Formats: sequence, C-alpha cells, structure tokens
Amino acid sequence: MAQTVRELRATGRVAAIDLRWERAPWEPPVDHYAVYAARGRAPETEPGALAGKTVYPHFTHGVLGPEAVTWHYRVVTVLASGERGRAAGASATTVASYATGRPLVAVGSFDHKGLEFALAPNGNARYLTAFPAGVDYRDGVSRPETDWPYLHPGPADQWAGRRAHRFTLRFELDAAPVADPGFALWMTDTHATIPGRGVLAVNGRKITTLTFEGGATKGSLEGDATRPNTPLVPSSVELPLPADVFRAGENLLTLEKTEGSWHAYDAIGVFARE
Amino acid sequence: MDASAPVPIPPARPRRRSFLRIAGVSSAALLSGVGAPGTAEAGYTGERVPGDYPFRLGVASGDPAEDGFVLWTRLAPEPLAADGHGGMPPAPFDVRWEVAEDEGFRRVVRRGSARATPELAHAVHPRVRGLRPGRPYFYRFAAGDHISPAGRVRTTAARGTTPGAFTFATASCQAWYQGWFGAYRHLVADDPEMVFFLGDYIYEYAITADRLWRRGADPGAGHDRETVTLEEYRVRYSLFKSDPDLQAAHAATAFVVTPDDHEVQNNYGADTSRYGTPPEDFALRRAVAYRALYENTPLPEAALPAGGPDARLHRRLTVGDLASFHVLDTRQYRDPGAPGGDILGPDQERWLLDGLRRSGARWNLLAQQVAVMRVGDDRVDQWDGFPAARQRLLDTFADPAVANPVVLTGDTHRAIAGELRADFADPDSPVVGTELVTSSIASDGDGAETDEQAAEWTRHPWVRFYHARRGYTLCRLTPDGLTADYRSVPYVEADAGAPVSTVARFVTEAGRPGPERVG
Repeated sequence: MAQTVRELRATGRVAAIDLRWERAPWEPPVDHYAVYAARGRAPETEPGALAGKTVYPHFTHGVLGPEAVTWHYRVVTVLASGERGRAAGASATTVASYATGRPLVAVGSFDHKGLEFALAPNGNARYLTAFPAGVDYRDGVSRPETDWPYLHPGPADQWAGRRAHRFTLRFELDAAPVADPGFALWMTDTHATIPGRGVLAVNGRKITTLTFEGGATKGSLEGDATRPNTPLVPSSVELPLPADVFRAGENLLTLEKTEGSWHAYDAIGVFARE
Repeated sequence: MDASAPVPIPPARPRRRSFLRIAGVSSAALLSGVGAPGTAEAGYTGERVPGDYPFRLGVASGDPAEDGFVLWTRLAPEPLAADGHGGMPPAPFDVRWEVAEDEGFRRVVRRGSARATPELAHAVHPRVRGLRPGRPYFYRFAAGDHISPAGRVRTTAARGTTPGAFTFATASCQAWYQGWFGAYRHLVADDPEMVFFLGDYIYEYAITADRLWRRGADPGAGHDRETVTLEEYRVRYSLFKSDPDLQAAHAATAFVVTPDDHEVQNNYGADTSRYGTPPEDFALRRAVAYRALYENTPLPEAALPAGGPDARLHRRLTVGDLASFHVLDTRQYRDPGAPGGDILGPDQERWLLDGLRRSGARWNLLAQQVAVMRVGDDRVDQWDGFPAARQRLLDTFADPAVANPVVLTGDTHRAIAGELRADFADPDSPVVGTELVTSSIASDGDGAETDEQAAEWTRHPWVRFYHARRGYTLCRLTPDGLTADYRSVPYVEADAGAPVSTVARFVTEAGRPGPERVG
C-alpha cells in the first residue's frame, strides 16, 4: 500500500514556493511523487493541476512572478507498481519581490526569461569579443539587447578569460532616496556546482558579497524558465540597500563576479519600496 | 525465426500457493520476475492481456553460462504509454516460456512460467538452467494468446574444455536520437555468440529538436525532459528499445550488459552528481534508474536494487577454459577522494584482482566502460582520474599468474586500439595488456574518420589506432590469439541502411601482450 506523504511543509519565498516532505521507505519502491497545485482552492489530483513530478522528497514550484500569491498543494506518492497513495495537502504564499516597487533603475523584465539580453540565448562564446572590458550600462541610453549580456561570467569560465568580471549600471536620481531601496537580481539559471560569489557595491561602497545558489548549468544554452519541462533552475537575490549610499545625480551600482562560474540574467534593478 | 512456429506453448494453469512453497519459489523471486526454472508457478489472474500484441519490446537473453542463461521480455502493448507501464493494467500476468533445441520448437527441453508484475513494469527474467554446454538453443514467450518472436542463445563451453574458437562483439553508446541502429544489422549478420554491451544503453538527456539527428524519427510528446523519475526512465528504455535492429540483435544472441553513466546521469560517480544534486537525493534517482535498467535488459537478479539504491552489476562469465570475462562496474563505487582515486571500490577491486590471478583461463578479458590507457590529466572521468587504481590493475596484469589480459572498453564513441603499459609514466616500460575501445552504435551521429579529439589520443605511442565513425568490434578468440575487427558504418543519421566495412584488424597473440595491426 502506498503511503500518504508525511510531514509535508510549504514555504514561500520570492517567486517560488518550496515543498518538503519525509522520504518514503525504500520498500515498496517509489516511482515518483506527483505534486498538484492550484490557486484559491485545494487542487484536484488530476493531470491538469500537475505542477511536476520528482523522485526527491522536495519540490520547488517556481516562476510564480513578483507579486505575493497563495498556492495550495497536494502531493501523492506513486509506487513502482503504479499504485498511488492518498494525497497530503499544504499551502503557502510567495514573498512579494522588491520588483513590485517603483523602479529607480531596472534592466530586463522580471518575467523568468532572459531572452531580451545581448548574446541570448546561447551566444556566450562571443562574450569576450562583444564585451572585452566588461559591462558599462547607462540607464536610458544603453539597451539590454546590445549592452547587457545574458550571462555574467566568473573566474572559473575559460570562455571568458578565467578572470573576474564587473558589470556597472549607471543611473540618474533626481534626489537621494529617503527610505532604503530594494535591490532585486533574478536569474534564469546558475552553474550547478560552482555558482560562485560576487561583490555588490553602490557608488564605490561595498554593500555585501552575494553567494549564488546552484542551478542546473543549462542557462548558458536557453533562457526561458517558463517553458514546460524547462531544465532551468531560477533563483533570486533580494536585499535592502542603505539609502545613504545613493545621491542625487549619477549613481553607480556594480556587481563583480569574483568567484566561481556564470549566472544567467532574468532582470536586475533597484526599487523604491512602496 | 518464425514466431508462428507449429508447436504452441501450452496454456498456463493456476497453481496454489502451497505449490510455490513446495517448489521453493521465494516471494523475492516472484517479485523480481525471475520465477522458478522449469516450473509453472502461480500468477495467472484470469485477466486478458490487453492490446493487440504485448511483445512490442522484443525478447532477449543474457549472461549465458554452461548450463543456461537469463531470458527476458516485458509485456508492453503500448511501449510509450506515459505512465511507464507500457499499456499494462496494474495486475500480475503469467508469462510462459520455453526453450528448444530446434528453431521449430519441436524439441522443447525446458518450459516454465514467470510472473510479470506491475512492480517491475511487467518484465520477466527467468533463469534457465539444466541445459547442455556449448550449444545453441531457441526460446520464446507466451502471454495469453500471444506468442513472442523467437530468440536464439548459446550456452557457453564447459569448464575443463577449451573451445577452438569463440566469437563475440562489443558495443556501446546508443543515443537513439542521434542515429539509427543500422550497425546492429551487420552485427547480427556477423553472428557473434555473445555481445558485451559496455554502457550507455540509454541517455538521460531531454530529447529536444536540436538533439534529434535521427532523420525521419519522431519520438512524440513527452521526451523533452531529462529522465529523473522511474516512469521517465521506463519510457526512455521503451523509446530506445523500439528500434527494430536493436530488438533483432537481442533476439539473435545473448547480451552481457553493464551500464556506464548515462543509464543514470552524465559522469556521475557513486552517489555524486556532477550537477549538484545532493548525495541523499541522488541515491533516490540512482535507485529508480538501476531499477529501470534491470526491467529492460537481460540482467541477472542481483542487478535489481532491493531495499536501497545499490545493485550488484559486476560479475564473471567463463567460456570453458578459454576465457574468463570479468564484467566491471566503474560507476557505483567510485571514490575520487581515496588516495590516488578509487574507481572500482575496495571490494570489487579485490574481487577483480583475485579473480584475475585465479581464473585459470587462457584469456582474461575485462568488459568495462571507460578508457584504462593514459590519455590526459583532464580525462578525470576515465581511469586517468584514478591513477593509483590503474597502477594496481596494471601491476596485476604484469603478474605472470595472470594470463593474457585484455580490456574491452566503450564510452568514447571512437574506435581505438592501444597497448597497456606497465607504467604509463615510463615510455620504456613493457606492454602488459591490450585495450580495445569500441565505437558507439549511434552516439555523436555520423562522425568522421578523424576529428578534433584525435590528436589527444594519437600523440601517445601506445595508441595504435583511432577512428571516429560509428560501429562495433567483432572479436574472434582462440587459444592462440584474439583477432579484433573494427566494424564501421559511414553514416547513422540518414537511415539504418549504411554498409559496413572493417576499418582495421588487430591481433593479440597469446603470451605476447599488445595489439598488432594486420589489416
């Protein structure tokens, strides 16, 4: 008899909800766990509500967008015999992204796709030719499709010269913000085993060193994480920035990849929190 | 062979549970689809086998011994059914089998039944015993009113005898989506007594339009995701096994299958994924992948994981006193963290090295996956990544107690012949063995006679041949020598009709290690 999934927990974060449960015993053998999802009500355990299948005792329901949304889940154990256990249920709400605020600057759309960027979806071999001195992007003048590449390489990337790469984003503010703005960096994918680290700075002042989550190492080849059966593993970094590092006039936000390999951009921006 | 031969298999009869106990049939044997040789066990449900024909994945035999072999089939009237169950309902069915001395099944010498259960995707693996050594047999299955195609298999020569010759082939790497399996047509015509399949029976990758080089093929929906769940691996096997030339090869001769990495995931080792999956998760994926491998190939029962993610895949086969084949598993026990690296794990390595010294056979052949010979320091997925383990193997090859060691290798999608040196760091060290790397059946598409990887291999004096088209290796073993014909097809992407040619012939003489080109 297939067991009911035990200890099912759902946790929301920006644009995704993580589900975890207790692994079933080795016997009887499990084929997979089927995860069903719906908004506004508990899902039916039928193909139309299937969010995914996994052999692992966890599942990330991703690409849920920047707004805070509540999802309901049912998870079913499917045995090697095809027998199905009774469904267990859980619910969670995503955390609203800073990207829902008023943009002070943004490059790309926070839509789980990186197809609007230069060299996308798989032109990283031309990176050194197109961006020999890194990226220096001026808001209102530069354009994503020519001036911001879809991949940000790191020192582990032979195709990018095995060195650190700094991306600079220049933007104008009429006045320094009163409250701390929010920084949002969304990625369609990262390297699986060496996603690396990067230094985030504003106007020359280091804010923090970002540690990237491991992805699927597929984002160098394709850039749409909303495609059904996508192998991409999106991730995000969001944090408040101190208001006092900003100034009226030109501001510079820099992200320098100092360790590891590439990340693939979905969008990057700074937002006033409203 | 005629699937509608004149002697029908008798219908199954329901048996009582008490008979099973008397017959010594364990529940484990039933659950693994092994059944009881020579008996007709319970399992008949009275339910009609669905669909118009349940043997669409063909038949197979494997791991021949002097008194028998493993038989295999899987009931699948709809092989590509998305749930991985091949169109079968969630109920057990009797599958009857018979083994005959003649193609017309007039002289049936063994007959039995095995239970096909949904737990194993209705695959059965009856182990037939009690046969005579060194002779051909014919077999077939029946389920309900349906009779399978017939297959052919030879028992091996008896220990204590030395056959004058033994013919076998090596094959590997059959990426269905990158080419047709026409090479198998020629392999069947070459009539080897056994095929050693050296890994990458399936590939786990998502089959997307840019990967689909098999012209005119349309796998249908649902294959554009990397296989992770059991149902996905099951469907992937069904897709690959739908190839008629692969089915014909299985029906024509016994396969001795050992997996490489792509039966689970590219370049994995033990419980480590190179794509960052945590070990405790990866073990779950490996368990379902090994299960699907067992369900879809004529492997012995020990290859079925039970109670965890592990499967016993290394084993030994003998052909009289002529040859001992040591079939290796260079994936499951890897430990790159061991001093100098460990590719076999301590238990398997001890089993191998002791077995080499004690085999008593004229020839000792290793059927395994990745190149043993030195190629380059960045080839960490091959034995180059495990130099201490390689040296222990080469030291054993140099032991006079080990007769005529030969390594049979797959993985590279290239046909390569090389010498195994006692110490690859010393160019003057003696040759202690031969390595014959077989090309792929279809992986990497058409290929070319040479390619961008050639220089990395051929810069070494121990590499005697390199060829980058698809094909297989046909070997003829006698007490005096091993002749290896590198059989190659000029294309695989357009269709399965490419002609075959022998692009090189190497002989390794007994007592004189190393391949010598003779053609």
